[in-house]
Amino acid sequence: MTSRETRKDKRAAVLPAREGIQKAVTGFLKKALERGCFEAVMMPVRAPETRSYAWLMVKNPELLDEAAPLPPVMSVQGGRALSSLTKHGAPPLSIGVVLRPCEARAAVELVKLKQIQLDDVHVITIDCPGALPLKDYVRGGENALDRFQALLEHWDEDGAIRPACERCHRFSLDISDEDRPLAPSSKNGAFPVEIHIGLLGENKEEILLIPLNPSGEETLEKLGLTPDRPLDGWAARVRALRKKKEEKRRAGHEEFKKEISGLDRFLAVFDACINCHNCQNVCPVCYCQQCHFDSPRQHLTAQRYLDRARRRGALRLPLDPLLFHLGRMSHMVLSCVSCGACEDACPVSIPVGKVFSLVADETQPHFQYTAGKSADEPLPLQSFLKSEFCEVETPSECREHQSPEVKSHA
Amino acid sequence: MSVRIGVYVCECGPNIPDKIDIDKVLEDIAPLNNVAAAKRFRLLCSNDGKKYLADEIRKEKLTHLVVAACSPREHEKTFMQVCVEAGLNPYLFQMVNIREQCAWMIPDKAEATRMAAKHIRAGISRVALHGPLSKKELTVNPDVLIIGGGISGIEAALSLASKTRKVAIIERSDSLGGRTGKLSRLLLHQGTDVSVLREKIEKIEKDENISVLTGCEVTDIRGFLGNFEVRIESSGEEAVSRSIVVGAVVVATGCELWDGYDPAVYGAGNIDDVVTAAEFEDMIAAGKILLKNGKPPRSVALIHCVGRKEKGYCSKVCCLYALKFAHHLRDSRAPAEVYEFYSDLCLPEKTDQEYFDGAVKKGVHFLRTENVRVEKRNGHIVVEHGDGAGKKKTLEVDMAVLAPALVPPPGSEKLARMLNIPLDETGFFKEAHAMLDPVAAPIEGVYIAGCASGPKNINESVVQAQAASGKILSTLVPGKTLEPEVKISVINEDLCTGCQTCLSVCFYGAISFQAHKGVSAVNEAICRGCGSCVGSCPSGAISSRHFTYRQLYEEIFEALR
Repeated sequence: MTSRETRKDKRAAVLPAREGIQKAVTGFLKKALERGCFEAVMMPVRAPETRSYAWLMVKNPELLDEAAPLPPVMSVQGGRALSSLTKHGAPPLSIGVVLRPCEARAAVELVKLKQIQLDDVHVITIDCPGALPLKDYVRGGENALDRFQALLEHWDEDGAIRPACERCHRFSLDISDEDRPLAPSSKNGAFPVEIHIGLLGENKEEILLIPLNPSGEETLEKLGLTPDRPLDGWAARVRALRKKKEEKRRAGHEEFKKEISGLDRFLAVFDACINCHNCQNVCPVCYCQQCHFDSPRQHLTAQRYLDRARRRGALRLPLDPLLFHLGRMSHMVLSCVSCGACEDACPVSIPVGKVFSLVADETQPHFQYTAGKSADEPLPLQSFLKSEFCEVETPSECREHQSPEVKSHA
Repeated sequence: MSVRIGVYVCECGPNIPDKIDIDKVLEDIAPLNNVAAAKRFRLLCSNDGKKYLADEIRKEKLTHLVVAACSPREHEKTFMQVCVEAGLNPYLFQMVNIREQCAWMIPDKAEATRMAAKHIRAGISRVALHGPLSKKELTVNPDVLIIGGGISGIEAALSLASKTRKVAIIERSDSLGGRTGKLSRLLLHQGTDVSVLREKIEKIEKDENISVLTGCEVTDIRGFLGNFEVRIESSGEEAVSRSIVVGAVVVATGCELWDGYDPAVYGAGNIDDVVTAAEFEDMIAAGKILLKNGKPPRSVALIHCVGRKEKGYCSKVCCLYALKFAHHLRDSRAPAEVYEFYSDLCLPEKTDQEYFDGAVKKGVHFLRTENVRVEKRNGHIVVEHGDGAGKKKTLEVDMAVLAPALVPPPGSEKLARMLNIPLDETGFFKEAHAMLDPVAAPIEGVYIAGCASGPKNINESVVQAQAASGKILSTLVPGKTLEPEVKISVINEDLCTGCQTCLSVCFYGAISFQAHKGVSAVNEAICRGCGSCVGSCPSGAISSRHFTYRQLYEEIFEALR
């Protein structure tokens, strides 16, 4: 199969899921390990006797029994987990990793920032119904797990999932209404995912394994699976749900924008901020060894504190909580994939994720850029188009942007 | 060790005291922390002034110096030299401009005084955080690498080579001479053959200070003026690779005839007796102009401007060589009828008009037209052209000679990337400034001569080769030492995450990624201290040695207080 095939020709392999999705996917991964598709699997595993999910790298298929390819919460952002493993080069064994689409998008950004190397990493994504807010999960006990189970069945539980998930329209592959090829692909090419697991097929007792590149096809072959199920039904349901989510996102952003417009109202959002920097710590895209705002540069002499206090009449300590957010925003918002990890991590429940995804949605288009879409699309931070200079630097040399007075003299 | 900052306010003649109450300024700053001396002097840049400062540095045992006077562009170096002579590191010095930035701009004396004090306080805050940077010295390598063995390369080599300066010419083909070497006659002195070139090549072969590497190409260049490391590989059967070190590089890669024109329009290649200028030149050199059937042509069409519209520029030399062909054809014992089809005539040199008039006198026909087509009809070559009034006319000829555009040779892009020389829209190398600096590349130590930067005739190529040589002879003096920039950037390896954003902004190629460490590093000899990388690093892992975060913060804070 070439990467240019249309949705109509792309087909999926089908796996039965009578015991539920989690078991079906773990079953597939176990088999893949046994058949040598990869040598280890990286995925969230529930630690015994606790309720938390930790990313583990597992070689022994039996340990996958407690694994949750789609955990009810996003504890550590998958992109971040991958970068901690592959920052200094690809590991010496091949790995299969299951990621939520937002985690895969974060991974794409991190590849471009040279923090992840995907050689010999087999990325598998999965349709994502969302995740429960971390706080709710921690407090909610077994109820929370039931709620997530219902979510996997109905896919439309308002109020149960994180706010970031509620307004997420990129919960599946990037397919459109036009007759466009399914997600671009080649092993370490534009979007380096080899198999996407479709959960929105017509039959709830099945999962669809959609190969996206030759590596994915090879994996299915090794498992003795033939992709022969057409995707129309699944694609239609994804599109319908996406439309709903897009509208929710748009409406949500519009409303929020009104709430926070004007400096006073914007400041009010961050009033409760305690400067813990959790949001920066969990963000997959924030890759600096030491954040500027954690560095000694932030330490001023007592004299400077006094000077500032004198000018303003009063001084909030520690200094400049808003500056931290604006600074972080200007550094990473063009790569923000709206995963919402920041919002989950805030101990005082500031809607950080909402602010950042709103700003991301409005700033990325200025660079004709969508974070996480393609590993071939260069980061706006690192690309310089000569054509852009003429607007600001040398209007007299640029015919397009010359002022009328200059033009008339030419 | 305690910090003792000396602050000296210069009166600059009447310039400053007229507009600023200097005593008030001194009152304001004298009590500041770490200020050991705050004094005024009439003219610090005078000999007396410089002596006074040196004495003060020693007497007051100053650890830092601030001079408030004119612009640093005028006298920063002067006072840095004073520091050196007085035993104070010259980078523990800050110059504050209270003339252009206060006295000359602010009409109200009270306001000007206040601003001057503010500027000086800012300078004092900053200087306390300066580090004692030290200059490095490198002895330059005076040798030169010339890329390209055509007329420009040959001329440059002969101008440059000496006992104290070795020259290496590297030429892709098997022999020196380039396009000039293939000419039958040189134009300016009609009747002069190219033995002049032969003589130059022989001189080179005899010169023990010039080495000629034919069949070789440059595969890597790194470095800076006075120290370029070049890797050369030979393209023969035995691929031999070697490295040499030179102090300057001359790019003399020349040009070639464009062959991308539409054969359906111009017929070359698929119609017999439609030839390019180069092929016609070979015929002249061989001594006979003959058609495919062995007979001499009775009529020849010379087609100018092949590719001018497509390429967007005039190739300058074709009108003249077409005239050369025309004269040659008319001078023969059985002269052929000659028709020159042109869209514009380019006759810029002082002898060109005469040459043209001579061709007219000899009966050459000149037809001005756009949209020429050369086709084969009924076994004959037909030139179809517009007649200027909108109609199409045709002319039957025995032979047609095409004058195609001159274009950069293959491999130019690769070389441009290696050397960090931009190419312009036409694909030729871009000089530092087309009018004011035409033989220098934007990178110091690299020069461009001849057609490498655009179509030129031999005269211009020779001039450029000599100009580039002149520049090298005066800057790359054997035994000279270079001081690379001191106020450069430095990368903190502990903070660097290896994202390589800094590499994408460094114009000088001074930053490289160290794969084994996973971090980037600045080459101290190439860095120019522009600070682009400092600004681009999201982690703040890069700082400038003389513009640290803390220095700037304190200076700005004090200025805004």
